[in-house]
Amino acid sequence: MYDNSRRKEDRFSISNLATVDNPEDTFANITRGDYEDYLKNFRSFEDQLLDATNDTSLIDQAREDAPEQAKISAGIQKRNIERYGGAGLSNAQRQEQARAGQRGQALNLAGNVNNARVEQRSVNDALLKELIGVGQGVNQNALSGLGDASAMSAQRAAAYKNAKSQHHSNMVGLGGAVIGAIFGI
Amino acid sequence: MSSKPKASEYSASESEKATASIALADKQYFKDKYLPKLTELRDRSSNENYQGVARGRAQADTMQALTNRPSLAATRSVDASADRAAAAGSQLLQGSLQGLAAQRGDQINVLKQARGMAADATSGLSRAAKISTTKNLQFAQAKQNRRNANFAMGTKLAAGAIGNVQQNTLAAATKGQTNGGDVSKYANKGFKSFIAPGSIFGTDSND
Repeated sequence: MYDNSRRKEDRFSISNLATVDNPEDTFANITRGDYEDYLKNFRSFEDQLLDATNDTSLIDQAREDAPEQAKISAGIQKRNIERYGGAGLSNAQRQEQARAGQRGQALNLAGNVNNARVEQRSVNDALLKELIGVGQGVNQNALSGLGDASAMSAQRAAAYKNAKSQHHSNMVGLGGAVIGAIFGI
Repeated sequence: MSSKPKASEYSASESEKATASIALADKQYFKDKYLPKLTELRDRSSNENYQGVARGRAQADTMQALTNRPSLAATRSVDASADRAAAAGSQLLQGSLQGLAAQRGDQINVLKQARGMAADATSGLSRAAKISTTKNLQFAQAKQNRRNANFAMGTKLAAGAIGNVQQNTLAAATKGQTNGGDVSKYANKGFKSFIAPGSIFGTDSND
């Protein structure tokens, strides 16, 4: 929650504001600084995310989970049988339980890995879609920046050309006036 | 005649200077205060164990649903253990999926923020905690409920039958008693003694 007593006039006074003598240079420095900050803090993070579109962690995890869960479940079954004093199970029934467990483990492994593949693909595709969206934004910003720079460059070239032709016509006018004055035209 | 242009007339106004100063101060404040938060969020979205949280919840849900009331019927069942393992595996996959999706969501948010784009405000971790129940867990749970219900019904029927037999035996044992103590004519015999207490359906015809 905001604590009003923490307010310090000296800290928040606008007299502490820095003077900006050259806004153009300041803006140029800030733009460069922002990009440097991005490179330093987020470029490798972005690269890692781009690599993560080929992630297989869900599939790998599913492969590990099936035997582990079968083991846990068998442990629970064993403890329950002990809890019920053997539960009146014959050896044949116990063997069938063990076989059912083994079959279940094999089925779970196949089923979970297949499901994990589908889910992994879905997560990776969703990430890729988001990254492409980010990339489009980056591309648009870059094109917009380049477009602005190009337009400004063209404007400067046109202004220079205009100034040159203006200067030329001024000089021609001046020359004509001087010649006219000399010859009394 | 117009005078020569003066440089002072083309200098920035006080308003422009103030705007530039405030913009610079805000920019510095953003860099000092908000950028570290964003890098903190970046580290958290990379290092925090989203999947661990979601998988823990998934495993707990499974075990809570399938092992909270151990029963003899489930213990004797051939496939209960395999069903439990299947449900746990499916739930764990669901947990891993929710965790990974949440992590990716947070990471992409950080990247969008870093790139100056709009991002969601919701934390992925809070979404990851809401694990949906998988088909396998529902199946195993339904099967266990059915098994328990059958067992409960069997137990109830057996208890009722034992009670009826006891009542019929007691009634039959009064045979030969005097002073109206002989109610053996009300006792049922054979299969009937299991399904009906002597005092209701018992007749002389049993004798």
